[in-house]
Amino acid sequence: MPKIDPKEIQKRMDRITHMFEDMVTHADKVSLTRCPYRNRKDHCTAEFRCRNQKLSKDLGNDSIFCLHDGTFDYSKAWENNPLVYKKVKARVQNIRAEGKKRRAKIARKRED
Amino acid sequence: MAKLSDIQNVFIRQEIEEYLERPEEISRNIELFSRAKVSMQEIAAALIEGEDDKVDQLTRNALDQGIEALEIMDDGLISGMGIVGIKFREAMIFVPEVLACARAMKAGMKHIEPILSDSGVEPIAKVLMGTVKGDLHDIGKNLCIMMLRGSGFDVVDLGVDTSEDEFIDAIETHQASILGMSALLTTTMPNMGKTIEALIDADMRDDVAIMVGGAPVTQEFSDDMGADGYGKDALSCVTLAKKLVAEIVQ
Repeated sequence: MPKIDPKEIQKRMDRITHMFEDMVTHADKVSLTRCPYRNRKDHCTAEFRCRNQKLSKDLGNDSIFCLHDGTFDYSKAWENNPLVYKKVKARVQNIRAEGKKRRAKIARKRED
Repeated sequence: MAKLSDIQNVFIRQEIEEYLERPEEISRNIELFSRAKVSMQEIAAALIEGEDDKVDQLTRNALDQGIEALEIMDDGLISGMGIVGIKFREAMIFVPEVLACARAMKAGMKHIEPILSDSGVEPIAKVLMGTVKGDLHDIGKNLCIMMLRGSGFDVVDLGVDTSEDEFIDAIETHQASILGMSALLTTTMPNMGKTIEALIDADMRDDVAIMVGGAPVTQEFSDDMGADGYGKDALSCVTLAKKLVAEIVQ
C-alpha cells in the first residue's frame, strides 16, 4: 500500500473537522425551531412515539409524518423541571450510595 | 475556466444548478468537479444521496483501480460533503439527511483508514458511544459520533436502549479507552449512574474514561454519577474526549 504524508492527511482531517463543526453548530440552531428528527420530506425519523407524529394510513403512504407547525423552541421541551431535577438527583445519589454499600458488604463477606 | 457542462455526472450538475446560489461556491464546485475523475464524481453523488452501501462499494473499487486515497478523500468524499454542508445551511436538507451523509462518508473512510494507519496516522482513541437503557433518542449521540469520527477518533456506535451489560460487553470486546453515554430524558438519566456502578462492580471502572451528555445532563449530575467528564454538545464532546485521552496518556 502506498504511504501518504501524515501532514497531508492531517490537512484533510482538519477540513473534515471544520465542515462538521459548521454543520453541528447549524444543527443546534435549526433544532430550536424544527425537530431534529424531522427530515426534508417532513417524515419523522425517530424510533420513539411523539404526539406530533401522524400515522401514514391517513396520508396514504408508509411513513410517519411530523405535523408540528415548527413554531416552538424545541429545546424547551428538554428543559428541566426543578421538581423532577431534585427527584432524579436524589435517585442518582442513591444509586451511588447503594453501590458503595453493596460492595462494602461483599468485601466484608470475603473477609469473613 | 470550467463550465457546468464539463462535469460528466448528471446528478452533480443538477445539484450545483438547483441548490447552489452563491457565485463563489458555484464556480468553486464547478472547478472542483470538472477536474475530478468520473468515479470520484460518482462517490460524491452517492455521498450526497446518503447511500452508504454505494459509497462503500465505489470507494473500494476506486482503491482497487489504483486511485490514491488522498484523491478519493479530496474529489469524492470531502467535495461531496461540501455540497451537503451547503444544502444544510440553505435549509434544503435537515439533520437526518446530514447524518445519513456522514454515515456514507464513514463507509468510504473505512477503506481509507488502513492506508492512513499504514502511513503512521492512527485513530486518536477508540470510543464507545451509546444511549442508555430505556432511551431511544439518538440524534445528539449521532452528531457527537459524526464529530468524533471527523476529528480522528475510532467510534463504535452501540445504538439506543443500551443496557449496563451491553456497555460492559462492548468494553471487553472493543478494548475502548473512552465510554460515552447519552440520555435525553430525566427518567433515563439515572441509568448512566447505574452503568457506572455496574462497571465498578465488574472491576472495570478503571479500564475506561467515562463521558456523559444529553439535554438534561449537567456537570453536577456528571459529578454525582462519578463520570469523568460532561460534554454539553457535540463540539465539547470532542474537546472532552481529547482531554480524557491526554489524561490517560499521562
